[in-house]
Amino acid sequence: MSDYKHIGKDFTPPDIMGKVTGKAKYAEDFRADGMVYARLYTSPMAHGKVTNIDTSAAENMPGVIGILTADDVPVMEAPNAAILTNTPVYVGDPILAVAAEDETTAENALAAIKVTIEPMPFAVDPLDSLAEGGPDAREEGNVYVRSREGSGFRKVKWTEEQITEFRAGHEPTGEFADEWSYGDVDKGFADAAVVFEEPFVTVGYAHMSMEPRTAMAYWENGKCYIYGSAQSQSFWMPGLARLLEVEMKDVVLVSEHTGGGFGSKIGAYPMAALPGWFSKKIGRPVQLRITREQEYYVGSARVGFQGWMKVGFAADGRMTAADMFIIEDIGPNATGGDGSSAAGAVSMVYDPLSMRFRGLPVLTNTTPRGAQRGPGQNQIAAVMAPIMDRAARELKMDRVALRKVNAANNDTTVSEDQHAVTSAYMKEALEMGAEMFDWDGKNAKPRKNGSKVRGIGVGQGYHSAGAKGFDGLVRITPDGKIHLHSGVGNLGTYSYASTTRAAAEVLKCEWEDCVIHHGSTEANLPWSSYQAGSNTTFTHQRANYVAAMDVVDKLKQIAAATLGGNADDYDIDGQRVFLASNAASGMSYAEAAAKAITMGGAYSGEEFPDDIHEITQRSVQNLAGTGLIGAAKDNLHQEGTIPGLAVAYAEIELDLETGKYEILDYVGIAECGKVVHPQGLAAQMRGGAVWGMGMAALERHVYDPQNGLPANVGYHQCRIPTYLDTPSHIKTGAVDIPDPQSPFGARGIGEPAMGCAVAALTSAIADALDGHSFSRTPVSPDMILNYVAGREQSFKPLQTNNF
Amino acid sequence: MASFDVMPDMQLYQPAELDDALELADRHGKQGWLLGGGQDTYGWLKDRAKNPQAMIDLNGIEALKGVRETGDGVEIGAATTLRDIIRNPLLNDQFSLLTAAAGRVASPQIRNVGTLGGNLVQDTRCWYYRRGLSCYRAGGNLCYADSPQGMNREHSLFEASRCVAVSPSDTATAMVALDATMVIQSVNGERTVSAAKFFVGPATHITQMTSLETGEILTAIRLPKKWAGKHFYFEKVADRDVWDFALVSIAVAMDLSDGAIQDSRFVCGGVAAVPYRLRGVENAARGKSLGPDSGDTLAALATKGAEPLNYNHFKMPLMENLVRRAMRG
Amino acid sequence: MMDIATFKNDVWGREVLLGVSWDLLWVILIAAFLFVAVHALYMAARKKDRSPSADGPRVSRHSGVDRIFHWVMAGSVFVLLITGIFPIIGIEFNWLTIHWIAGIVLTVVILFHIVRALFWKQLKSMWFSGRDLKEPFDSSIKPGKYSVAQKAMHLGVTVLTLAVIASGLVLFAMIDTPWWDRTNALEESTLGWMFFLHGLSTLLLVGMICLHIYFGVRPEKLFYLRSMIKGWVSKDELEANHDASRWSPDESG
Repeated sequence: MSDYKHIGKDFTPPDIMGKVTGKAKYAEDFRADGMVYARLYTSPMAHGKVTNIDTSAAENMPGVIGILTADDVPVMEAPNAAILTNTPVYVGDPILAVAAEDETTAENALAAIKVTIEPMPFAVDPLDSLAEGGPDAREEGNVYVRSREGSGFRKVKWTEEQITEFRAGHEPTGEFADEWSYGDVDKGFADAAVVFEEPFVTVGYAHMSMEPRTAMAYWENGKCYIYGSAQSQSFWMPGLARLLEVEMKDVVLVSEHTGGGFGSKIGAYPMAALPGWFSKKIGRPVQLRITREQEYYVGSARVGFQGWMKVGFAADGRMTAADMFIIEDIGPNATGGDGSSAAGAVSMVYDPLSMRFRGLPVLTNTTPRGAQRGPGQNQIAAVMAPIMDRAARELKMDRVALRKVNAANNDTTVSEDQHAVTSAYMKEALEMGAEMFDWDGKNAKPRKNGSKVRGIGVGQGYHSAGAKGFDGLVRITPDGKIHLHSGVGNLGTYSYASTTRAAAEVLKCEWEDCVIHHGSTEANLPWSSYQAGSNTTFTHQRANYVAAMDVVDKLKQIAAATLGGNADDYDIDGQRVFLASNAASGMSYAEAAAKAITMGGAYSGEEFPDDIHEITQRSVQNLAGTGLIGAAKDNLHQEGTIPGLAVAYAEIELDLETGKYEILDYVGIAECGKVVHPQGLAAQMRGGAVWGMGMAALERHVYDPQNGLPANVGYHQCRIPTYLDTPSHIKTGAVDIPDPQSPFGARGIGEPAMGCAVAALTSAIADALDGHSFSRTPVSPDMILNYVAGREQSFKPLQTNNF
Repeated sequence: MASFDVMPDMQLYQPAELDDALELADRHGKQGWLLGGGQDTYGWLKDRAKNPQAMIDLNGIEALKGVRETGDGVEIGAATTLRDIIRNPLLNDQFSLLTAAAGRVASPQIRNVGTLGGNLVQDTRCWYYRRGLSCYRAGGNLCYADSPQGMNREHSLFEASRCVAVSPSDTATAMVALDATMVIQSVNGERTVSAAKFFVGPATHITQMTSLETGEILTAIRLPKKWAGKHFYFEKVADRDVWDFALVSIAVAMDLSDGAIQDSRFVCGGVAAVPYRLRGVENAARGKSLGPDSGDTLAALATKGAEPLNYNHFKMPLMENLVRRAMRG
Repeated sequence: MMDIATFKNDVWGREVLLGVSWDLLWVILIAAFLFVAVHALYMAARKKDRSPSADGPRVSRHSGVDRIFHWVMAGSVFVLLITGIFPIIGIEFNWLTIHWIAGIVLTVVILFHIVRALFWKQLKSMWFSGRDLKEPFDSSIKPGKYSVAQKAMHLGVTVLTLAVIASGLVLFAMIDTPWWDRTNALEESTLGWMFFLHGLSTLLLVGMICLHIYFGVRPEKLFYLRSMIKGWVSKDELEANHDASRWSPDESG
C-alpha cells in the first residue's frame, strides 16, 4: 500500500545476534579494573526508624571494602524514593550497602550486619488507612496529592459508614483529592436507558523485569561512568546527574541492552546512582547487583485501584454518562497518577457524552509504585469490558456493535478540555478483529460442553502514544556510512532501531550502509524522549525525520556549492545527490561528507541550531568535523492527543469444576497508524497479550496485613503466565492507516496491546459465567470455584490482598 | 534485612557408592544436606534460609537410578529423574498413575534434573516458611500463616496442628495411592516404610515432611503388583499449567471388577501436610461403579472434617469436583 | 557455657526469646540424681532412728477429697510432662491435644484446690511460721501437720505450677481449639517469654517432682505415701514425726 523503502518492512535490529548468542552485554556483564561487589541491606519492616547500625563485625571481615549508609548519600525529600534511608517506608527499602572483593564475601558481610529499627504503624491496604484511627503510611500523612497548584501530604479519613457504604458498592461519599468533569453528567444519566454502578478492584503487581536493576560505576577524570539497566537512554541523563549531584556533562551512561522495564526504569532511579556514591567513597569501581527478591522491592509495582463506576447508556447503545471514583494505591513514594489516566482512557475509548472523575491517592507501605504498561488505562480496560457487555445484554445489542457505537474516531474529543485526537480508527479495528476472530460464528455456537463453558470476549485498549520536541542526529562520514544516532533506550522493543528507519527512508539509503549508534553517552546521542507511554515510535520517527531532512538540505547545498546551481535543483537517491535535470551531475554521499568537512560550519557540525538540547549540542560538538552532520529539533506541527488503540478478541473454555480456563483463540488488532516494523509490532501485540492474560488471571501482589510482609519475592509467587497458560498461537493484525501528524504515519502501541487483552479476558470470563463479573483483577480459580459453588468469596469486598 | 542469592561456602561430596554416601550422611548428621536434582535445594541454599556445612551429591550413585522389575512389582531408584520415569515403558504400562503425576511436576526443565526421591522428600512451599521466618516448621514457636489475617490460600484443610503447610509433591499422592514402600538406608542398615507412613504431619513431626531421620537416605521406592495396571485417575489443579504447585491434586487407584469397585485409594495433594487419603470416600466406593451418580455420592464425603482457613475454602468444592471427575472414569 | 534460653529472629528479623534451652533438662535430671544419690548415701550411713509402727490406732491425715485431688493433679502433671517433654527429646507422637486437655484438668483441679484451701481448709497448716525455721536444726522441734521440707516443697510446687499454668493458658490461646481459632495477638518477644516461663517452670517442676517422688518412697517417709493413698497414719507415726499439739487430727480406726 506504500512504496516506502524501509517503513513497513521487516528488518533485523543489530542487537538481535548478541541476544541470541549471549554476547549482548547487560549491566551486570560489565567489569572494571579493581571493581568491587556491593550488596544491599534493606528494611525488614514496612515502616520504621533506624536507631542503630552495627557494622563492626562486617567491617572486620577479610575482603570487605566499605559500607555506604544514608549519611553518605543525598537526602531525598519525602515522599521521594531515597537512595538509602534511615526511615524505611516499605519492606525492602534500602538502608545500607556493603562492598567486598567478591560476592560471597559481600553476602557474608550482610549477614553480619545488625540494624536496629523501631517499628512504626503501617498500611498495606488503602482502605485500612482511610478508616478512622487507621494507620498512616507516613508520619506526614496518608494521602499525597500532586497538582499544578502545589503538591503535598494530607491526612484523609473516612467514617466507618462511608467505608462500609463504599464496600457495599455505593457511591463513595468520603473526601477526595482530584476531580475533573465535562458535560452534564446528571443529564447524561437522566437520558440513559440503562445505568450500571459497581465497585471494582484491580490489584497492583510487580513489573517483573527479567533483568534486576544492576548498576556499576566508577569515576575517571571527574566524570562518573554508570553502567546501568535503563529503559530510556538520553532521557536518563538529567535525573542521573541530579542523583549524583554533578553536571550532566560529567555523567556517562552506558546501557546497551536492558532486560525489560515496563515503566519501572523510565528515568534514572536511586539504585543506579548508589554505586556512583559508593565508588566515590571507596575510590574503586563498584557494581551493585541486586537480588531478584530486591527487584520486587525497589523494582516497583503497578498502582492498585479500589473504585466505583457508574455508567449510563442510551437505548441505541451510546454512552451518555460515566461517573468514576478511584482510590489509588500510590505506595510509599506517592508515585501514581493512574486514576486520572484511567478516566482519560474512558473518555477516549468509550467517548461518553458526559463524565466525571474523582480520585484519592492513598499512601501505603508496600512496594513503591510506578507507571506500569498502560498505567490506569489497562486497569480500567479490565473493569469496563464486562460493564460494556452488561449494557449490550440489557439493551439486547451485540457486544461488538455496542462498542462500535461508542468507538473513538477522528472526531472524538477527549478528557476534561475535550481536545481533539490526531486520528483514531477504533471501529475499523473492531471490525477487522471481529472478522479475523469470526465473532459472529463463535457467538452463535453453543457454549456448554459438560463441565466446560465457552466464553468469548472483546476488549479495547488505549494509551496516548506520542510526544514532540525531541532531537534527531544523523551523520554521513566520508566512507559513505550513514550514522543514525539514537538516544532511545534499548528496552527490548527495538524502537531504538526502528525509529531510525525514518531517517534511512528520508535519505533513501541502503540499510546495510547505516550504522546505529546507541547505548552510551560516549556514542554521542541526541536528546530523546522517555521510552514509555508508547510514545517512542511516533516521537522519534519525527526526530529522525527532521534530522534526516536537515541532512538532505545540507547535501543539496553542498552539491550546489560544489557543482553549481541552487540547492533546490538537486535531488537525492542511491546515496547520491544530483541535479534533478541531469542525474549524471552529482556526487555520492561519501563525497558530500568529505566536502562537508572542508566546508565546516553547520555542514560538519561546527555550528548547530540553538534550539537543540544541551545533550545533543554536546554530541554534535564531539562529532564536529567527522562528516556531514544533520541535527535538528522536532518542531513539526502537533496538536491533540495521539492515540494508540488496540482491540482484542478472546475465546476461552472455562471448566466450572476446576475454576480454570484455557484460552482457545486470541486475536489482537493494533490501531497505531502506519505500521513501521511488522515483526516488531506482532511481537508487541503478542507480548502485550501475554501481559494481559497475566493481569486477568494470575499476577498478584500479596501482603500479610498483620506484619506488612510481601509474599511476592520470587517468580513463583508472582504467578507470571507461562507458555502453557497462553495460547500457542496468538493472531495479530493492524489497521495500518497513517496518522497525519507523523511523517510516516506511525503511532505507538506497546501499552494498548496489553489493555485490550486483559479486557477481552474479563469480558470472556463474564460471558462464560452468564454475565457474572467479579469486577476485579486478577480473577483466580478460587474465585471462580467459590462463585460456581455458591460460596462466599474469601475476601472482603474491595479488599486488595486476596491472594 | 539481608537478601541473598549466592550460596555460602560448604563442603561438596560426590560419592559414587551408596555406602560412602551413607557414611557421609552419618558423619555430617544435621550439618549434612542430601542433594538430588537440586530443585528444592538451591532455593533454600541461595536464600541462605538453610545453612548446611556439607552437601552430599547423590547423583553420581548409579545404584540409586533406574527402574527395575522385581518379583513383587517394580523398584525405582530414588535418584531416577522424573523425565526418565515419565518415559519409562514399564511404568507407563503398569503404573501410569505415577507417570501421570510425574508428568505434571513443575516444568520440563525441572523434570529433566529433578529426581523422584527429591520430589517425594521436598519441603513445603508455605511462603512464610520459605521466606526463612522462624515459624513452627523452622523450629520456632508460632505460625504466621494460620493467623486471623494470615494469607493462607494455598494452605491446608485437614489435620493441621499449629503448622498449616501442605504437601507440595505431585508424585507423593500417587505413591500413597499405589501403596508404595519406601526403602530407606543408613549406616545401620535398611528399613522400609509404607508411603502412607513415610509422609508425616505436623501433629507428630512439625519440622519434617517425612519420617526420614538424619543420616538416612531414601534409596528406592517399591510399587507392589497389587495395583499394577488397575484403573487410575490423576489430576492436578494449579494456578498455572506449568511450573506451579497443586492447589489440589488427586491420585486415585481403583480395582474394578465387573465395573464395580472392589478396592480403591483416593489421595489428595495440597490439602494437608501429607498426601491426604479420603478414607470416607474409599469406604463408600466399595461396590460402586463408575458414573456421575456415584461420583456425586462420593464427592459429598470428600471434605468431611475439613477445617478451612481464611482463604482456602475453595479447595473444598475443588476436592469434591475432583472426586466427581475421578468417578467419571 | 550453658545457655538457659534459646533465641530466634522475629518476623522483622529482631532477635527475640524463643524459649528455654531444653538442654537444661539433662542438667536438672543429673542434679536431681546427684542430690538423691548423696542424700541416700548420707541417710544410709546415718544412725537409723526408730521406725514407728504402722500398727495400732490410726489418725486421718488426708481426706478423700484431698487424696483424689492429689492424684488427679499428679496424673495430669505426668501426662503434661510426658506430652510436653518427650517430643522435644525425640520421642515424637501426636501430643498437643492430650497436652492441653491435661492442662485443663490440671487448671481445674488447682482452682478447686485453691478455693477449697482458702475457705475450707486450714491454710495455716501449710504456711511457714518462725518455729519452722528452727525445725531442721533442733530435733526436739517437731512440725505440725507438715514439716518445713514439705511446706517448702508445697510452696515450690505451688509457684511453679501457677507459673506453668499461667503461661500455659496464654500459649493455649495461641493454638486452635474447638472453641477458638488461634491468634497472633502476642508480640513475638512476649510469646518468647511465655514459652520461656512455661519451659523453665516445667524444668524446675521436673526437678521438684524428682525429689518429691524420692522422698515419697524413702523408707522412713513411705507412710506419707500410704497416707496419700489410704488417708491415715498410725498414732505411732504421728507421734514420731509430728507435734500433736500443733496438729490434732481426727482419730479413727
